[in-house]
Amino acid sequence: MKAYIAFTKKEFCENLRTYKLFIMLCVFLLLGLMNPITAKITPQLLKSLMPEGMNITIMEPTALDSWAQFFKNVPQMGLSVLVIVFSGIMANEFSRGTLINMLTKGLSRKVVILSKFTMTTIIWTLSYALCFAATYAYTIYFWSSEGVSNILLSVFSLWLFGILLLAIILLGGVLFKNNYGVLLFTGGFVVALMLLNLSSTIQKYNPITLASSNMALLTNNMFVSDFTMPIVICVITIIASIGSAIMIFNKKQI
Amino acid sequence: MDILSVEHLSKNFGANKIIEDLTFSVQEHSIFGFIGQNGAGKTTTMKMVLGLLKPTSGNITVCGEHVTYGETKTNKYIGYLPDIPEFYGYMKPYEYLKLCGEITGLSSEKIKSKSEELLTLVDLDKANKKIGGFSRGMKQRLGIAQALLNEPKLLICDEPTSALDPIGRKEILDILYQVKGKTTVVFSTHILSDVERICDHIALLHGGKIALSGTLSDVKSKHKQDGLLIEFASQTDTRAFLDAPQLVPYITNVEQNNTRLILHTQDVQKLEVAVIAIISERHLLPIKFEVLEPTLESLFMEVVK
Repeated sequence: MKAYIAFTKKEFCENLRTYKLFIMLCVFLLLGLMNPITAKITPQLLKSLMPEGMNITIMEPTALDSWAQFFKNVPQMGLSVLVIVFSGIMANEFSRGTLINMLTKGLSRKVVILSKFTMTTIIWTLSYALCFAATYAYTIYFWSSEGVSNILLSVFSLWLFGILLLAIILLGGVLFKNNYGVLLFTGGFVVALMLLNLSSTIQKYNPITLASSNMALLTNNMFVSDFTMPIVICVITIIASIGSAIMIFNKKQI
Repeated sequence: MDILSVEHLSKNFGANKIIEDLTFSVQEHSIFGFIGQNGAGKTTTMKMVLGLLKPTSGNITVCGEHVTYGETKTNKYIGYLPDIPEFYGYMKPYEYLKLCGEITGLSSEKIKSKSEELLTLVDLDKANKKIGGFSRGMKQRLGIAQALLNEPKLLICDEPTSALDPIGRKEILDILYQVKGKTTVVFSTHILSDVERICDHIALLHGGKIALSGTLSDVKSKHKQDGLLIEFASQTDTRAFLDAPQLVPYITNVEQNNTRLILHTQDVQKLEVAVIAIISERHLLPIKFEVLEPTLESLFMEVVK
């Protein structure tokens, strides 16, 4: 336990001093601010770009447009940044040999994986919460929250999908010794989930729902029950990925 | 007592045999020099002792406990200095030692006192900057400090001096010599003068096997060289000396280089008596007279040949 706390503190120190924490917080705060503002000014922007004399009717933006931006930007840009920032989390330790000192000091390999998972989860949660808070605050300031249902579940789903990606990054990290391998592995994983989504039977269980169908949940086109199975599968995949990462790492020659 | 014992250890990388049936042991409180060419398998052997690599076959025990691959309990007895120690560059030396101490489970007072003591020992107590800006020698010294932090019974150093300048090397060797009383040191190297300077036991690894081992003096006396070196001031003296018929029964071979002679023999003592008799009888005064000691280098070359 003492070793776990010590190594988690080291992870925090690393993320702080190598500016990863700073980058994550900045990017997600920016995304959070952009969402409502883009929704607000898009109609005005379009109007000003129209040639004179032409007239189109643009619907007044609503809170839903702001959330639509949120659930478009975070899965695309936000998750990409997340994966890129943390792709080297194992690879850097392997390629530089920094883990050797730690492991020969009796640090258990399980602790390495769990500490890294803990710290990345905390950073992702903080960044995501910041993004959500910014979007939420501006959205209720500009519009009323009428017509928006299940916002919390929707936001939670996307958060959980982020955790899944972190688990996959760690699994990729112990499988491949460089970060391109990890990027490819994580990218491949997401593409595989998208391809699986083509089959309507698997669709019901597919965790990608958590990052792609959030708007449907907000507009009541999908129901809470539709999200139950993907959440369960997602949690199982997270546990399985971390478990296999630990097992593979235990058998790895360093 | 044997701190480390290695029995019938083998390691293949694919079809490539690196270590083949290696057996040796290290006694408590010795400085054990593990000598070998680049690629002889020194690092591989050390990594197997640390449980970082999986042996193909064989058995390793540290302080009487079996070393298992992956998670090994025996690492609590060991301090390890890798050939190129790598640290988290964004940390300062004290912070790094604190992390190491917490991982090993030392109390915070112990970590504090030990860090101060060790950083003074390796002369880094005033280097309060990030490790990223350290030189090779400083990193190597910090490496020793972190390896000694948990007061290990066995300190394993992988080529600690290879990449350092003469002053850096001397500093490292001095530190290793200082800790001799407290711990057992195993260090691998291909720099023979370092071995001669501080080791008491050596093992020479060649072709995946121990080619030579024992205490340094034993190894040297077993391979006592068969030569006398004698040098005269002039060619006349040299010729006068070589003409002496008393020499003939003892000498197997003579190497001559101007006025310097190397006489090879089966029995150095008898030859010495004969030579002294000749020079006193003929009033020849040598400017140099020496029994040739085997150097580690000559042993090394002999084995590697």
